[in-house]
Amino acid sequence: MNTPTNIIAAPAIKKDSKLKTEFFRRYFRVVHSLFAVLILIQFLPDKLTTDTYTSYVIWFAAGAELFTLILSALIKKPASLNLFVDIVAFIYGLLIAWTLATAKFNILKASLFPPPGKVFWQFIGDYDKILTNIQSSVGIILQGYLLALAVAVPLGLFLGWSARLGSAATYISKFLGAIPPIVYIPYGIALLPTFRSVSVFVIFLATFWPVLGGTMSGVMNVEKKTIDSAKVLNVNKFTMMFSVILPASLQQIFIGCNQGLTVSFVLLTSAEMIGAQSGLGYYIKNYSDFGDYTRTIVGLIVVGIVIVIISFIFNTIQKYLLRWKT
Amino acid sequence: MSKIEINHLTVDYTEKKKSFTALKDVSFSIEEGEFVSVIGSSGCGKSTLLSILEGINTPTDGEILINGEKIKGTGTDRGVVFQHYSLFPWMTARKNVAFGIKQVNHSASRSERYKIADEFLDKVGLEQFKNKYPSQLSGGMQQRVAIARALAMDTDILLMDEPFGAIDAKNRTILQELLLELWEGASPRKTVVFVTHDIDEAILLSDKIVMMTANPGRVYRELEVPFDRPRNRSELVQTREYNKFRNNLLSLFYSDIADKIGGEEVVL
Repeated sequence: MNTPTNIIAAPAIKKDSKLKTEFFRRYFRVVHSLFAVLILIQFLPDKLTTDTYTSYVIWFAAGAELFTLILSALIKKPASLNLFVDIVAFIYGLLIAWTLATAKFNILKASLFPPPGKVFWQFIGDYDKILTNIQSSVGIILQGYLLALAVAVPLGLFLGWSARLGSAATYISKFLGAIPPIVYIPYGIALLPTFRSVSVFVIFLATFWPVLGGTMSGVMNVEKKTIDSAKVLNVNKFTMMFSVILPASLQQIFIGCNQGLTVSFVLLTSAEMIGAQSGLGYYIKNYSDFGDYTRTIVGLIVVGIVIVIISFIFNTIQKYLLRWKT
Repeated sequence: MSKIEINHLTVDYTEKKKSFTALKDVSFSIEEGEFVSVIGSSGCGKSTLLSILEGINTPTDGEILINGEKIKGTGTDRGVVFQHYSLFPWMTARKNVAFGIKQVNHSASRSERYKIADEFLDKVGLEQFKNKYPSQLSGGMQQRVAIARALAMDTDILLMDEPFGAIDAKNRTILQELLLELWEGASPRKTVVFVTHDIDEAILLSDKIVMMTANPGRVYRELEVPFDRPRNRSELVQTREYNKFRNNLLSLFYSDIADKIGGEEVVL
């Protein structure tokens, strides 16, 4: 006789437990236990004799944890939340290993591997200087990169579209692209007015070849049926190039752009070595020359963060422009 | 003067140093407002013929006249629907149609183009799918968009290259009826050249059927389809005349093949 009530009650219980698991999935995560471990090990006695700036690690971790909890409540999509939480968990894990290896057990050479707290402390101390350097570096990268895109994409469209020029240009660009851009630095210094323009030139060259190659291969691989469909609509040359060929080869162009972006960051240091008095590359190079490895690491981390942010923006643009792909 | 005159068209291809003749001395004409189907087994050159009409290919010999003028390349007087979806995947259904309109009507503003596009998408039953990308539509829906684009461009001539060839049987029937309804309902009616290998499709839609044969591709028979319009498939297929005509067409179709493979021992 109890069966009917059970049937009615069952879904309610199920829903309730589903809500509960949803709550657990959102807030009870490995990342929080890593946070706890990170905080706890800060209270172990230091083996390193110099100041380890432990409180800076605690403040940083607390900030990151608060941010994680807020985002856990705000982010709707589980995939995006997982992505963020996984990155935070990775940072905690790295900080745990780093703290133990430096401040707590002192197994790494202290002059080369400063404890994490010292790096945070240095970061706050150098904050203004770092901001200026970011501005200078991002400026150089954007200028060189966008200039390369503005030249390489139209040129690639044109060369790729012409069957004869295209096949010759593929090999020529392979040949020229294989030459490391730093080789051109002396020529740049001789020909260009300022050191800054030489830096922009190096980034330009680093980006130019992969983007040109990507664009040409994109254009050469556009399907015949796409071109025929446009032809029978009687499109003019301009429309064919920019409304048909360009979007049809966009994915390949983005592959080239991505490569160019990676290479331009790798070359940033080299580009800023030439007489530059600012920039992240200069910051890293300068302090590593002076043996100040705390600042070198600060510089490396900042470069990493800038790369991640720019890649994120880049990916967002790419996703938007290729939203029609399945 | 006929709307389209095809005069002694010959097309030779050279592939890997071997040349073969895709079309040999093909001649026939199409009147204004006529719906003509070109049928034949694969390799008979029916798609080659259409690609020359489209202006994508050029013949080795002979010519095609439209309104008495020799065609040179593609033109805004012809709208085309391919078998394999001719839509641009980076444009929504509406943008695909509007893009076609823009190529024939440069003066129309963007909102005017969208208005016309919407009107034709409504006609093919895609009100709900205007802002979808081709990858979000089924094959049948993509062909509806392609038809809407060809109609919205309002060209005198429609060229259709096995437009329903890759569509499942049920949707093919629906699309055939849709095309029939749109074409019969328009005034003046457009001149249509429709390539297919489906005999029933050809009979249902056409005023005239041009049957082609392979190796080399040439015209085998030209037949007038004697049924009144507007046509209704379910009524038409029940008539004795329809079945007689269909059987006649089938036997022609297969006798051509039997001739080719050499004779009476072939049982069909």
